[in-house]
Amino acid sequence: MSEPPSTTVDALEPWPDTVEWRPVSPKLIVVELIGLAVWLAVFTAGLGIAWFFSRHPGWLIGIGVVLLLGVWRAVVHVRAVRAWGYAERDNDLLVRHGLLLRHLSIVPYARMQYVDVTAGPLERAFGLATVQLHTAAAASDARVPGLPPEEASRLRDRLTALGEDRAEGL
Amino acid sequence: MHPLSPLLSGAKSIVVIVAALSWQTLSQLGTTHFAMLVAILAVGVVIFSVIGWYNTGYQVIGRELRIAEGLIWRRNRAIPLDRLQSVELRRPLLAQLTGLAELRLEVVGGGKTEAPLAYLTVREAGLLRERLLALSARTQAGQSASVAEPAAGAAAVTTAQAPLYRVRNRDLLISQLLTPQAFFLPIGVAWVVTQFVMEGSWTFVGIASTVTAMAGVLLQPIRRVLGDWDFQLGRDRDRRLVLHYGLVETRNQVVPPFRVQTVRVIWPFLWRKARWLNLRLDIAGYSGPEPGDDKNSDRLMPVGDIATARSLVAAVLPGVDLATLATSPPPARARWLHPIGLRFYGAGLTPDVFVTRQGRVTREVSLVPYARLQSVRVVQGPLQRRLGLATVYADTAGGRSGVARDRDLAEAWALAEQLAVRARAARVGGS
Repeated sequence: MSEPPSTTVDALEPWPDTVEWRPVSPKLIVVELIGLAVWLAVFTAGLGIAWFFSRHPGWLIGIGVVLLLGVWRAVVHVRAVRAWGYAERDNDLLVRHGLLLRHLSIVPYARMQYVDVTAGPLERAFGLATVQLHTAAAASDARVPGLPPEEASRLRDRLTALGEDRAEGL
Repeated sequence: MHPLSPLLSGAKSIVVIVAALSWQTLSQLGTTHFAMLVAILAVGVVIFSVIGWYNTGYQVIGRELRIAEGLIWRRNRAIPLDRLQSVELRRPLLAQLTGLAELRLEVVGGGKTEAPLAYLTVREAGLLRERLLALSARTQAGQSASVAEPAAGAAAVTTAQAPLYRVRNRDLLISQLLTPQAFFLPIGVAWVVTQFVMEGSWTFVGIASTVTAMAGVLLQPIRRVLGDWDFQLGRDRDRRLVLHYGLVETRNQVVPPFRVQTVRVIWPFLWRKARWLNLRLDIAGYSGPEPGDDKNSDRLMPVGDIATARSLVAAVLPGVDLATLATSPPPARARWLHPIGLRFYGAGLTPDVFVTRQGRVTREVSLVPYARLQSVRVVQGPLQRRLGLATVYADTAGGRSGVARDRDLAEAWALAEQLAVRARAARVGGS
């Protein structure tokens, strides 16, 4: 990090004094890790079967590589979930995410077209949901994963209410 | 719909079918069989179109346009007219010969043009368009309460136009000769000819296929000339933009000014000598950026000099003067990411629009009005993080974003904040 001396801002912490960031639920880490573990299991099982039949040491190396990658991905997942955050301001919703490629989206409530609340089976098992805000621009991405259901529905209701107040989507 | 429309739409399908059958089939089947095959398919297509036509209809109910179509899969759709983005009247060659027109309505959300009404008589289409636009304007006025006059144009048949600008066809020809494709055309032809001379295989099919394949790529300038022929830009009483262009297929497009999402000023390398510019405008509803696609109706000025461009930009985005748009380049350390063209990147906030510029060879300036801003994004990649830079995107519904690349991080935050604030101010102030 060779930050220029004039700026002390961090890519994920803009306007620290005016914006109160809310983290997503840490349970999302577990969900993501389980998803990752499933993939790892599938891969290692495949490689293991191959090794079992051919007895070639290359397959074992493959398993090792996959597991190492898995550990690295796990670390990334944990940090990525911690980096995810959102904030509701008076007129817009801020969403930040990403570690390597850091994103911050500012979406005014007035531009909202519709809100999606989704929950996959694994998310549901842990009592989580994903809220996504859609605008008329396809490029806008305001997706907040890993919210507890009551928080998700609160956010959804608040967004729709604010969207109605501020009307006109285009 | 007009009774001739099944024939016309059928003719279109037949062309597609013949193209799909290709030259190869022609040589295999022989001309008589080929003609028979085409004839059978043509009859089938026409019958199908007649059935389709019989079940297609539209009507205006209140503030909605309802369109019903389909026999097996019936589809009824209602289009709220206050969501109308632009209306285009298209007349392909056959329709021109028969005095018909196709009415295309652009609404947001569809990947392609929703609801093309094909075909109506020109008069009918013009009337319907006037009616739809009047209804649309009325709801708009009712909503924003900014326009006092309630669009009294119900009786207006002709769009009274005050021409702002028209392109001389000579300029258009020259400008399209100055494109890379035009330069490659002789090379391509020479290459094909030499290949045939060398190999000595003068089969008709071979030549025909090559020519057809080449035509697709290399005749783009010609298609553009035909498409932009006789380009006229005007403005009707309600200050809507009226664009008219095309030779083989004429298009007549009406765009309410508040529907313009972005304006792009493009300055191709080869046009610099002539000091020519190309202006394009984005409207929500037309599909996203597809390079080299000339089907999009996004022209504002096919070719023109800077003075014209200035006046046109001022007409489309009131209060914006192209000559006074100040942009600042990214900080010098961004040269690691852009070794060559750094000083051609830039971004600037002006009172009404967000200006970004980029491109070394083909210079491009995008203007995004704050009032049309959908969302703001700040993205920082790993390299940018090392250098303390970030990229700011200003998204619009037109599918294109104003992109301020590699700004200083603090500046990027300030930009994002300013964009958000100004967008809100512009919205509240009545868009």
